Amino acid sequence: MGERIRKYDWAASPMGARETWPSTLRVTLDLCLNSPFPMAIYWGPDLRLLYNDGWSPIPGKRHPEALGRPAYEVWSDIWPVVGPQFATVMETGCGYATSEQHLPMTRFGRLEESYWDYSFTPIFGKDGRVSGVLNQGHEVTARVKEHERHMLMLSLSDRLRDEDEPDHIVAMAVERLGAHMNVARAGYAEVDLAGGTFDIVANWRRDEGVPDVAGIHPVGAFGADLHQAMLAGAVFGVDDAAEDRRVQGQPVAHRYTRLGVRAGLVVPVLKGGAYAAAIFVHHDAPRYWTTHDERLLTTIAEQIWQERNRARAARALRESERRHRLIFEQANDIVFTAGLDQTITGANPAAGRALGVDANTLVGRSIGEFLSTEQFVRASQMLTNKLLGHGATRYEVAVNTGDGRTLQWEVNSTLATDDAGTPLGLHAIARDVTERHRHEQDQRRLIDELNHRVRNMLAQVQGLAQQTLRGDRPAAVARQAFQNRLGALSAAYDLLTAERWGSTTLAETIATGTRELDIEGARVSRRGPHVELSPKTAVSLVMAFHELATNARDHGALRADGGKVDIVWQVEGDRLSIAWRESGGPPVSAPSRRGFGLRMVERALASDLSARVTLDFSGDGFTCRIDAPLTAGDGSSQ
Amino acid sequence: MTAPPTGTRVLIVEDEPIIAMTAEDLVEDMGCTVAGSAASLAEALDLARCASFDIAMLDINLNGETSLPVATLLHDAGVPFIFTTGYGSAAPIGGFPGTEILKKPYGALDLTTALARLAARLG
Repeated sequence: MGERIRKYDWAASPMGARETWPSTLRVTLDLCLNSPFPMAIYWGPDLRLLYNDGWSPIPGKRHPEALGRPAYEVWSDIWPVVGPQFATVMETGCGYATSEQHLPMTRFGRLEESYWDYSFTPIFGKDGRVSGVLNQGHEVTARVKEHERHMLMLSLSDRLRDEDEPDHIVAMAVERLGAHMNVARAGYAEVDLAGGTFDIVANWRRDEGVPDVAGIHPVGAFGADLHQAMLAGAVFGVDDAAEDRRVQGQPVAHRYTRLGVRAGLVVPVLKGGAYAAAIFVHHDAPRYWTTHDERLLTTIAEQIWQERNRARAARALRESERRHRLIFEQANDIVFTAGLDQTITGANPAAGRALGVDANTLVGRSIGEFLSTEQFVRASQMLTNKLLGHGATRYEVAVNTGDGRTLQWEVNSTLATDDAGTPLGLHAIARDVTERHRHEQDQRRLIDELNHRVRNMLAQVQGLAQQTLRGDRPAAVARQAFQNRLGALSAAYDLLTAERWGSTTLAETIATGTRELDIEGARVSRRGPHVELSPKTAVSLVMAFHELATNARDHGALRADGGKVDIVWQVEGDRLSIAWRESGGPPVSAPSRRGFGLRMVERALASDLSARVTLDFSGDGFTCRIDAPLTAGDGSSQ
Repeated sequence: MTAPPTGTRVLIVEDEPIIAMTAEDLVEDMGCTVAGSAASLAEALDLARCASFDIAMLDINLNGETSLPVATLLHDAGVPFIFTTGYGSAAPIGGFPGTEILKKPYGALDLTTALARLAARLG
């Protein structure tokens, strides 16, 4: 600048030739030119400008023509601000200093916001009056914008921290952004590259006149250039859609026009190197976007991304907690937690139901309250095992309920630990296996009983075989008799099966025992009242009547065509009498020895009915009279 | 085949007539004497107290009751006895050391051997 000043034709200017300049000006100018700090001198009544190299970028394109020009001419754009400041210094002789002074300047052909720290120092002439002003200063726009961004982010963070709704976070952030930047619209979009769409989650609008662009759009809807820039991770700014060559004739220009957008700034959010989201501001007048704006958008977009993820995670956690709580509440299994001192810290409704108390009242009580001393020692041993690192334990324990029942629980219990592995307490799931145990016992009893019956029946069959096959009868006859007896036994069990092993009636029992006679025609009559028999008695009686029937057929009345059998029973007082009377057959005589059949009749009736049995082989047919007491046991009647 | 001495008197307690008759025949076939045959607990207790016999055969299940009272009585009197049972290993017995157990269905050989062993202890 020293060179320029030397070469300048000062003589032709109102300041006159340099040689004529007062010494104060010359000294000050020397000082100024030797300083690396931006300094300028405004001299004379119209404040003509002299400045050093440090100051020369300040007026932008007005350098170097600004040299020797009056201040009001050089700073016409900011004269409403600085004019009065100069005037005050000139008039009062007092210096003036300002910090972060806002000066909307047009340095490069467009208006920009700028902020300055500067001072005006009066330079006095020989007459003691202010002859000029020394100006020192520098631009602090970056610092101011940085501070603004910082403050905005602070207040935004405060607002977003308590918000767990992911979409609200976006809406809140873009509203702050739009209002702060004083634009027409501010929005945030998430991109689904695979789906070829982007979703404008929220777009804040300055007023109702600005169209809403929220919703899902195909990628490239705002221009291929824009989309390419986003993919490349580059900021896309249009200062004036009407002037910008990049958007001229492009669909985006049409789109911008239709949406009333003159200026737009879009900043991509890259995640893992891929285009994931974008934040944007639109304005309905030309706007010179600065790197400060870009930085602000980048910061807010990052904030939105993070807060949104936090909110989503929080919501997912809440959902998962709700689900788990639901499982806990609705599980049929008993779930409870306890401290290491075996104090219950939580119990689900199933636990309360099992113990017959409100689950909430269980908290704070000791597990020991529900266990016998012996069982509590066992539970404590299980806890010790877990603490010794044996992991989960599974055991059965007898639990005493509040209302005096004893339940059998199968308990699966694990140690709950913190992240460092320090034990905190117990988690346990228990199942009431009381019913299962009872069922298992019932089943075991049933199997034992089945086993017993099978063995008994085998013993009966063995007895039948032994009784039938001994003696000197021809093998074929003995075999037939054995088969018939086996058939009778089988029919007896059929009868019991049909009655499901409940009681049967005497009528059914006699009919079953004598069923073979029916095949040969209706020569058998059976009459008598309802008398109930126990299953065991029924089996013996079926076998006894089978023997009587066989005798009648083989040796008795039924051998003749006109022979018949009448079976009549009656109840008189507490006695039951049964009469088996054969008639119309050949003459009968007592057998020389009692075979199995007659022994069976006497034995079965005697042992099962405590009956007195009279066999009569005289007269016109065999007669068997049975006289039995009716007891509450076998042979009870109604 | 080892057999109990001829004439050994045997009390039979069995509620199933067919099985009782078969047991009686088996006992007689091996030369022993049936000292009595009971089909119920009451009858069995009567005979256990009054009848003269050397050895008893007790069916454990007597139409829903157990013959354990008879067993106790015999045990106290020092009379050896055989349990006969359809219950297999689940039989509710115990406290009668030296008792023979015959599982139904038992054959002639099983019964003979068991009776012989008890008779041998009688001296």
